Amino acid sequence: MKEKTIILILLVLASIILKAQQIIPLSVSSDRDVYVSGEIMLVKVFIPINDQSKVNYLDLLNLQGKRVSGAILKINNHQADGFLQLPDSLSTGTYILRSYSKSPANNLKVIKEVWVANRFNGLEKTRQIPRLALNNIDKKSSASIKIENIQYEVKSNSDNNLAINIDQQFINQIDGDVSICISQYDNLFKSSSAFVVSEAKDTTDLLGSKGLILSGLVTDKKTSQPTSGINVFFTIPDSIPDFQYYKTGFDGKFYFQLNNYSGLINPFIQCFSTNQLQRLKITLDDSYTASELVPSFNLQAVTDSFKNNNARNIDVITFQKIFEQQPFKIIQEPQKKTNEYPYYGKPNKIINPHLFIDLPNFTEISRELLSGVKFRNYNNEPTLQILNYATNSYFEEMPLTLIDGIPIRNLNLIKDLGTQDIKRVDICASERYYGDLKFPGVVAVYTTKADYSNIKETDQFIHPTLDAVQPQITLSQSDINNTTTPDLRQVLYWAPTIQLQNIIPVKFRTSAILGKFMISVRCRLKDGSIVCEEKQFEVK
Amino acid sequence: MNKQAIKILFLFLCFIFVNEVYAQVGPAHGWDAPKIKGTRQEIYSIYEGKPYFTDNWCLGKIQLSNGETIDSLYLRYSSFKDELIYFNKQINTQIRIDKSIISAFKFTDENGQLHSFRKQQFDNAAKSERYFEILSEGSVDLLCYKKVNLDEVSPYHDSKGTLKNMAYRQEYLYYFYSPAEGYAPVKPSKNGLLAQFDKQSQKPVKKLLRKNKIYISDEFTFIAAWETIEKNGFKVMF
Repeated sequence: MKEKTIILILLVLASIILKAQQIIPLSVSSDRDVYVSGEIMLVKVFIPINDQSKVNYLDLLNLQGKRVSGAILKINNHQADGFLQLPDSLSTGTYILRSYSKSPANNLKVIKEVWVANRFNGLEKTRQIPRLALNNIDKKSSASIKIENIQYEVKSNSDNNLAINIDQQFINQIDGDVSICISQYDNLFKSSSAFVVSEAKDTTDLLGSKGLILSGLVTDKKTSQPTSGINVFFTIPDSIPDFQYYKTGFDGKFYFQLNNYSGLINPFIQCFSTNQLQRLKITLDDSYTASELVPSFNLQAVTDSFKNNNARNIDVITFQKIFEQQPFKIIQEPQKKTNEYPYYGKPNKIINPHLFIDLPNFTEISRELLSGVKFRNYNNEPTLQILNYATNSYFEEMPLTLIDGIPIRNLNLIKDLGTQDIKRVDICASERYYGDLKFPGVVAVYTTKADYSNIKETDQFIHPTLDAVQPQITLSQSDINNTTTPDLRQVLYWAPTIQLQNIIPVKFRTSAILGKFMISVRCRLKDGSIVCEEKQFEVK
Repeated sequence: MNKQAIKILFLFLCFIFVNEVYAQVGPAHGWDAPKIKGTRQEIYSIYEGKPYFTDNWCLGKIQLSNGETIDSLYLRYSSFKDELIYFNKQINTQIRIDKSIISAFKFTDENGQLHSFRKQQFDNAAKSERYFEILSEGSVDLLCYKKVNLDEVSPYHDSKGTLKNMAYRQEYLYYFYSPAEGYAPVKPSKNGLLAQFDKQSQKPVKKLLRKNKIYISDEFTFIAAWETIEKNGFKVMF
């Protein structure tokens, strides 16, 4: 009897655990389905409620499953919006837009097919269009959302007002915001989105809720084995350098937080061993998940009208490029200054050598201008020591030495710097601590050029370009007064997060582009299903 | 419970344990916690008296100027230098935390009493920042600057027989503080407290203390007296 009771309890527990892991669907949508290489694709993603991730990964795969472009979007209220820059060199064909997070609660990835025509070749050699065999997951229409006050035919270059009317009862069922898009539409390539389940999981999956994390591995160059107890430094040079460190464990892995950055960043990542002779190698993990098998696809014949539409789109984009028209505006948020002073501490002394007499090298500068700093270059083996003000004696160890905010150990990098090369020298003449790191004094040299050209990359000192969370994007306003160049916007309205209300007024201006356009209103219900209401109109 | 049941339970616990171990793969605990900036704490010269507020390291937490908090730190407040020191277990070092990164800190002393300190700019000529212990919080705060001075005293022999003429002496300073009015110094005595009120209020305040049987003899009774007075709506004169 007791056995049966225990088994019953365990079964109940297991069912509770399984229920907790039930996944609510996610969805990805883009402003259009047909693009030209070099364009920007606008994207809106709904993330499952049980997914606590702070960032969503978005990438574009070709039909071989290889990634050609990617972006990292910030998640707000289980939704994210952003853009993908389509490379100019993309060849004509069907591509897969993929969205996923790294949360352990959500092992789903959602994909959507898009068509991209190469700007230079067009559809010259294209006879058939590959179409993915996907199940539509989000085309649930609702009579409770009405798109009103819009005629089927609308004049080009005209101001228009429409209203999105949402039933009060239906509002209570909606979870979060509503997204509205008005853009050019090609009914020959209408895409849907579908799930793919990913079985693959790595340790970084555990970090989904932490936001954007950079991870990597330190190995011994001789043995190729992961190395523990190695301090890995992450520096973004600035007037107040941004700095993080991580001491590797037995797995040799390191992790850095990238949540405070946006756009592309160029950090210096370096590692130091206590054994000066040990040679190490840093390998960064790919932020994006690995390529994967693409679902099967069918071939569809290319029609003349699809070819013509593509040719027209190519002309539009070429025109925009020639006349430097920017249909979108990227909003760069100012970098948050989290520190009043550098991680190595408030300097006891700040010297500006260029204000003094001309001195040819750092030995002379230390002798003449930097009291308490002993830099000597005997037999071409430079040494640096600093006076500890607290004990009035020189530290035996070499101080933390930085050039333009980047920690260095090779003093040859500063030995030839003269007064004209140095903008400022910060000196901390005490034993400083940052977390568990100890600095026996600090000498921070900031050069006038600040171009980091002296610092050479090695296996244990890398300078990668990394994707941080993407900045926001908005549509550029159409210039009504500009009569010299035609307005060629293909996206007339893009509002990925509009606060819920009974009647949402939408004001937009049509461009010079004629043809079919689509108004689409998209939202997620509290049960997790995605609702999309659409209405077509034609610009004449 | 028979053996079979124990076996099933054991297997279930093993399953949970394995899952837990798997879940622990990844970064080390606290890897993304804010880092403390500081300088090595040099040991003070030994004289009569105590330069520190507490005799031992006390478990506490600090709130940084950027709003982040770091807890489970071994803290010690230096009344002598008005500095906060923490013990870094990883590197076995006493570190004086940079005053500029702290906005507040609290710790529980050996007797289990919670002490809460806040960094505030003081009204002196230098407008320096000081750590004040918050004795009572309200529309008007009762604060204490727990200062210890190194004073010259009559020569004495310490425990090792060395002749010394310096000693650490407590000089705690109490203030009423309101952000709008600033600081009003107060002595921790009945007369000192009464002097903070206008003449008309002094009599009822005295009566209130007598009615509540509060006799100001130390810091605790002083705080109790002020809290009773404040509750009854009497306003301090700044």
